[in-house]
Amino acid sequence: MKRAMIVGLSVVLLGFLGVSFSYGANTIKVGFVDTYSGPASVYCFDVVDGFKMAIDAINAKGGVLGKKIEYTTRDEKFNPATGLAMAKELVMREEVDILAGTINSATTLAVSDFAKKEKIPFLCTFAKSEKITGEMGHRYVFGVAENTRMIGKATAFAVAKKPYKKFWVAGEDYEYGHAVGMASWRYIKAMKPDAELLGQTWWKVGEADLAPYITPIVQAKPDMLYMATGGVGNLNFMKLAKAMNLMKEMACFLHTSIELSNLQALGKEGPEGIMGTVNYLFYYPETPENKAFVAEFRKMYNRPPKVGALYGYAAAQLIAKAYQKAGKIDKEKFITAMEGLTVDSPVGKLEMRKCDHQLMLPMFYGVTQKSPQYPDFLIAGDIMTIAGKDYLPTCDEIMKVRQK
Amino acid sequence: MSLDFLAYFYSPGVVCQILVGLSRTVILFIVASGLSLILGVLRIPNIAHGSLYMIGAFMAYTVSRVVGGGITGYWMAIILAPLGVALVSFIVERGIFSRLYEREHIMLFLLTFSFSLVFGDLVKMVWGADYRSVPMPTSFQGSIPIFGLPFPIYNFFLLLMGPIVAVLLWLIVNKTKMGKISRAAAVDREMVGAVGINVSLVFCIVFVIGCFLAGLGGALVAPIVNVVLGMDHTLIMECFLIVIIGGLGNIWGALLGSLIFGLTQSLGILIWPQFGIVFPYAAVIVVLSFRPTGLLRSTW
Repeated sequence: MKRAMIVGLSVVLLGFLGVSFSYGANTIKVGFVDTYSGPASVYCFDVVDGFKMAIDAINAKGGVLGKKIEYTTRDEKFNPATGLAMAKELVMREEVDILAGTINSATTLAVSDFAKKEKIPFLCTFAKSEKITGEMGHRYVFGVAENTRMIGKATAFAVAKKPYKKFWVAGEDYEYGHAVGMASWRYIKAMKPDAELLGQTWWKVGEADLAPYITPIVQAKPDMLYMATGGVGNLNFMKLAKAMNLMKEMACFLHTSIELSNLQALGKEGPEGIMGTVNYLFYYPETPENKAFVAEFRKMYNRPPKVGALYGYAAAQLIAKAYQKAGKIDKEKFITAMEGLTVDSPVGKLEMRKCDHQLMLPMFYGVTQKSPQYPDFLIAGDIMTIAGKDYLPTCDEIMKVRQK
Repeated sequence: MSLDFLAYFYSPGVVCQILVGLSRTVILFIVASGLSLILGVLRIPNIAHGSLYMIGAFMAYTVSRVVGGGITGYWMAIILAPLGVALVSFIVERGIFSRLYEREHIMLFLLTFSFSLVFGDLVKMVWGADYRSVPMPTSFQGSIPIFGLPFPIYNFFLLLMGPIVAVLLWLIVNKTKMGKISRAAAVDREMVGAVGINVSLVFCIVFVIGCFLAGLGGALVAPIVNVVLGMDHTLIMECFLIVIIGGLGNIWGALLGSLIFGLTQSLGILIWPQFGIVFPYAAVIVVLSFRPTGLLRSTW
């Protein structure tokens, strides 16, 4: 019995060692720290799946500098302390070359700080805090996804020409909610000096029945309601908006209202006429690049790609091309190569901006509507592409907030 | 601060806001009354009650997917989902809780907490992390205007469900033998056992009824929310506060507590939308500073 246990234990231990050894020295290792359990995980699997699809193709062609790209994942369970510990473990034990991931902004900022101290490149593939590449930006962190400042400016860009004057901001009472709501209002005010903020309403994250919050807003009669909810709360609002036919009373704008996670879940029941923005739509732009990307993703995972897939895919392309450009596996050379780097993607050429390490993704604006092509769920209509240069905060703006 | 806000109270918008607040109260009451029932009779502070509410919503989703999204699917979901939750709770009660009634509260508290984690992971294994939406049946879609403000029809339906559940609960607790025994057991469980009544069975029935209510709350809320992991977190906290301000174990206290919670919230939003969420918690503080044991008589 005892012997059996010892043998068993050694097998288990060897198994652990095997995991570490399986990374030969001849690979580039990327360590993902992200949320793979709980509500936020719905976005994170697409990131890794998109990343895997890209590196499979790269590795099939012989990898980068003769080395294959490998990755490993850690579930931080939406907990910043866990996330930081896992990032440390990935760097110390797994000796990864690059850190990536994190949807939780608090985790991202903690990992970013660690990456700065350890001089490890860190690619943030989802978190939306504007501080990541703004106030707290540094040489080792890169923003591959959009952030609240960008969302705000894109919102203002999209509604600038519309005749709205009176605004109301409502949303979930947490950092993302306030940041995205206030950023949108700030940029709207900057573009429309006569705009007026009638009021703000905030509710707890996960609030089920939003009717008590929305009814007084209907009474106040704003021209446009900016909804600052993220993730889970989006659906609660979109369902109520449909029940109250809110779009008849006022224009409604919700970042990611047109995103697939929301519209697919709502099915045929989705509300028509909600404005929104998102970095990726699998049916737009109708370019050969996007069509090929969608076809390949569908073939691998049997579902259409969501926005996270683009972030993961772009991260992989950036890593491969930066090492190619750097000419050797060196962290400092990698950073330098990343700055100003341009990669191909399903949504066109993407540039990693040198001044703040923010990827210049296009943003798609659209309005939810029914489509004969997709009878099972709503899609975005009236799509307008907002180019990265039009809605990223300017380098001057970023340098100013960094100096504070 | 000027007295401008008083003008709100003469406006028709207030009537609408009170109605919306009441409809929100219904879900809180249904879930909190189940919690209170279990707390009063079995003395279990059931943290996993919120998870059962979540399971109720997920089961409603499954039923509506299998049967279809129409009105039949909806009613089937409203009936089958709570029954499913009741079955889960029956297994848990007979398998585990029935053996642990004599333990200390803190131990039971930790046990139910561990159950909330287990249930959370089970839901993830069975249903996954994706967002789910239960379609609203056509007859409940849309809204009707009250003083020009759109009032969702489903919220009207909830307003009807509240009193129905309250009356049924009253009948069960006050007019049935089982109810009388359970009230007696809440006061002195050893004495009830001494007169030859199978206390364990009564406890089991009460536990299942309480959990049925959690499942019912989940099924009722399903068409208006994103059915997703973590939907239990906010609700269970609110329900505990409601049970505490109402009086531990008193289901009428749960009703009163839900009314206070729901109405201070909806009227608070009218007065100060930016900080509307503060009002119900302020009300809890006020109530507890004057009546630390809750508004109605606690059975503890």
